[in-house]
Amino acid sequence: MKFAMLSQVFSQMFKKPFTNRFPAKYAPKNTTKFLEEVGAGRAEIIPPIEVPKGFRGKIQYDKDKCIGCKLCIKVCPSEAIEFVEENKKIKIYLSRCTFCSQCNDICPVKCLSMSNEFLLADSDKYSKDLIVQ
Amino acid sequence: MNSKLSNKISYQIPVGPIHPALKEPVQFEFTIEGEKIIDVDVGLGHVHRSVEWAGTKRNPIQILYLAERICGICSYCHPMAFSLAVERAAEIDVPERAQYIRVIHQELERICSHVLWAGVAAHEIGFDSVLFLTWQIREKALDLTEYLTGNRVTKGITMIGGVRRDITKDMYPTILEGMKFFKDNFEKIRKIFLDDKTFKLRSQNCGILTKENALKLCACGPTTRASGVKKDVRVDQPYFAFGDLDFDYITPDIITGEVNGDVYDRIIVRLLEVKEAVDLIEQCLDKMPAGDILSEKKPAKILSTLKKVNGEGIGRMEAPRGEVFHYVKLNGNESPHHWKVRAPTYNNILPWIPMLKGNQIADIPIVAASTDPCMSCTNRVAIIDNGKKYQLDKQQLYELSVKKTRRLMK
Amino acid sequence: MKNDYLSPDQIVKSLKDEFKTKIFDSRIEKHIRGLKKTEFYHIWLKSDRNIIKDIVRHLIKLEKYPHFAVSSGYDMGEKIELVYHFSIYYGLKGKEVNINITVELPKSDPTIDTITDLIPGALISEQEKQEMLGIKVKNIPKDSRVFISEDYPEDTYPWRKDEKGPEKTIRNLHEVKK
Repeated sequence: MKFAMLSQVFSQMFKKPFTNRFPAKYAPKNTTKFLEEVGAGRAEIIPPIEVPKGFRGKIQYDKDKCIGCKLCIKVCPSEAIEFVEENKKIKIYLSRCTFCSQCNDICPVKCLSMSNEFLLADSDKYSKDLIVQ
Repeated sequence: MNSKLSNKISYQIPVGPIHPALKEPVQFEFTIEGEKIIDVDVGLGHVHRSVEWAGTKRNPIQILYLAERICGICSYCHPMAFSLAVERAAEIDVPERAQYIRVIHQELERICSHVLWAGVAAHEIGFDSVLFLTWQIREKALDLTEYLTGNRVTKGITMIGGVRRDITKDMYPTILEGMKFFKDNFEKIRKIFLDDKTFKLRSQNCGILTKENALKLCACGPTTRASGVKKDVRVDQPYFAFGDLDFDYITPDIITGEVNGDVYDRIIVRLLEVKEAVDLIEQCLDKMPAGDILSEKKPAKILSTLKKVNGEGIGRMEAPRGEVFHYVKLNGNESPHHWKVRAPTYNNILPWIPMLKGNQIADIPIVAASTDPCMSCTNRVAIIDNGKKYQLDKQQLYELSVKKTRRLMK
Repeated sequence: MKNDYLSPDQIVKSLKDEFKTKIFDSRIEKHIRGLKKTEFYHIWLKSDRNIIKDIVRHLIKLEKYPHFAVSSGYDMGEKIELVYHFSIYYGLKGKEVNINITVELPKSDPTIDTITDLIPGALISEQEKQEMLGIKVKNIPKDSRVFISEDYPEDTYPWRKDEKGPEKTIRNLHEVKK
């Protein structure tokens, strides 16, 4: 039994590891200090792997095209879109969005689209970065 | 675990709700004598999320995304079965190109799920490095899924009346390259699982389910095919485009020539299904017809058509674990009147009782994991010994299983 | 035994011959799939609640171990309807037929007989109907709750839409703060 696996074990020792070490080779002890060093050019962030075309990332909203028909609110599965009465436009809460892009499909004037951004972590649910309007 | 008494008294061990070998909380009560299991009692319901009730408050397009999150691994089968049921109730015709694309996605998910299961089974026996090896192969399948649908797990590609994204001719080379990768590595996995002496010792004659028990308890999926019963929704009632493709039931006598119904047979059935899935995807890419991918392109029109429908429909599909069944009743409102979901594991739980009787405690993880239950793992086993309670947690029960393997290896 | 299978029309006719007026409202649906236009059938029937065991015995004559998928039930105001989903003739390529039987139970007397002595795999499904809809299944081998926890109130049935429904136990967690 052992011999069947030995050849695999040997070849594995010489292969490059599968993991991509993002953002740095070892986890930094102090993240804010690490980001400062990157800003000053002393350290480097290893980039994440490229996402394929058609990836569903952060949603983007073209405010001028929107006509206020409320169809996207009807079809959103997690009630993440809110209608703003004053100017008949919408407000999207990213902390509830499931990134299904169903609202993109149903919009009659195509004012919503998905981008490639996926590094969206934040510590406050209602912070500025997580509300699109 | 010093429970060696001279006159054998039977103990009762409750196992669960959180359990080492299952991926979902289930409660068992084992009656044991020494190390042998005499009787089993099963209790369910610890992750009840009232999904069916929540479905009666939403319109059908929102239910598609709710159904996707019922299970993480069979996350393609639940929305597909739901949309099959709605299409039959509302008499919507699905174009042929969409039917072929649906087959490709389903078989890709079957590859991902069976390879994941193979890794988990190896972990339960004690071979951790096999876990990492098989999951590395699974990464290729997940990359292919992300390329085709935009996401690795919750695909979001179902729509009532078709699929949301097309597979164009420039995507074919990537898919065919992925299939070649699976074919090259299949022989490696097959040798590790089927020719290895320790695997055979641990899994043969362990957890046997006879053909008659499998028929009486209405088991489904690879669990029942490994006992010799020919039940497969793709062949019996061909949905999507399976009627055009060339394949057959898979039972273990294709490789070994006889049917035992034990854990080893279930490993054989699942590995052969991976091979068949690769073959089916290549057949589909060959025969893909031209045409639309959706019967109705505007989702707003779909919603207004479904509002006027009065009827009921059922949708059945072959998920990697068995038969998924959905029943929908529409009665002219925005949300359906009733929606019934039946995941395949609920039919595969009652067979645990005859499978576990007569086996040892250290076999519980591998026998339970061999039916591939769709549930989530946890930790404690409480043992009541003459009134004194002490607890074994996940680490200790897993260690028991590994120790048995080391004993057999000597 | 597996070589002589009946077509869907013949199945319905044999059931109607045996049970006469107690079976009504039958329809056969035909579905077509794929480029080769393969077809398969679903049969829907309505029946009286007292003969459900005899129907299962009749199905056992056609197929030794009919496959019982699940039973679904819903509340229709005055009565409760249960639908039993069976399927026979699996194992033959493309020939499986689904049979769905609807029975009505009045809310004043919601009892029905068990079928677990003929099909043991139906146990979990019948226990689920008992606790979700408040019906009573006679002679069930194990009478305990299967999906709902022990401390849920006794007289509340989650799938009912009348006063015994779950309205009091619902909490809408997502509307807490916006």
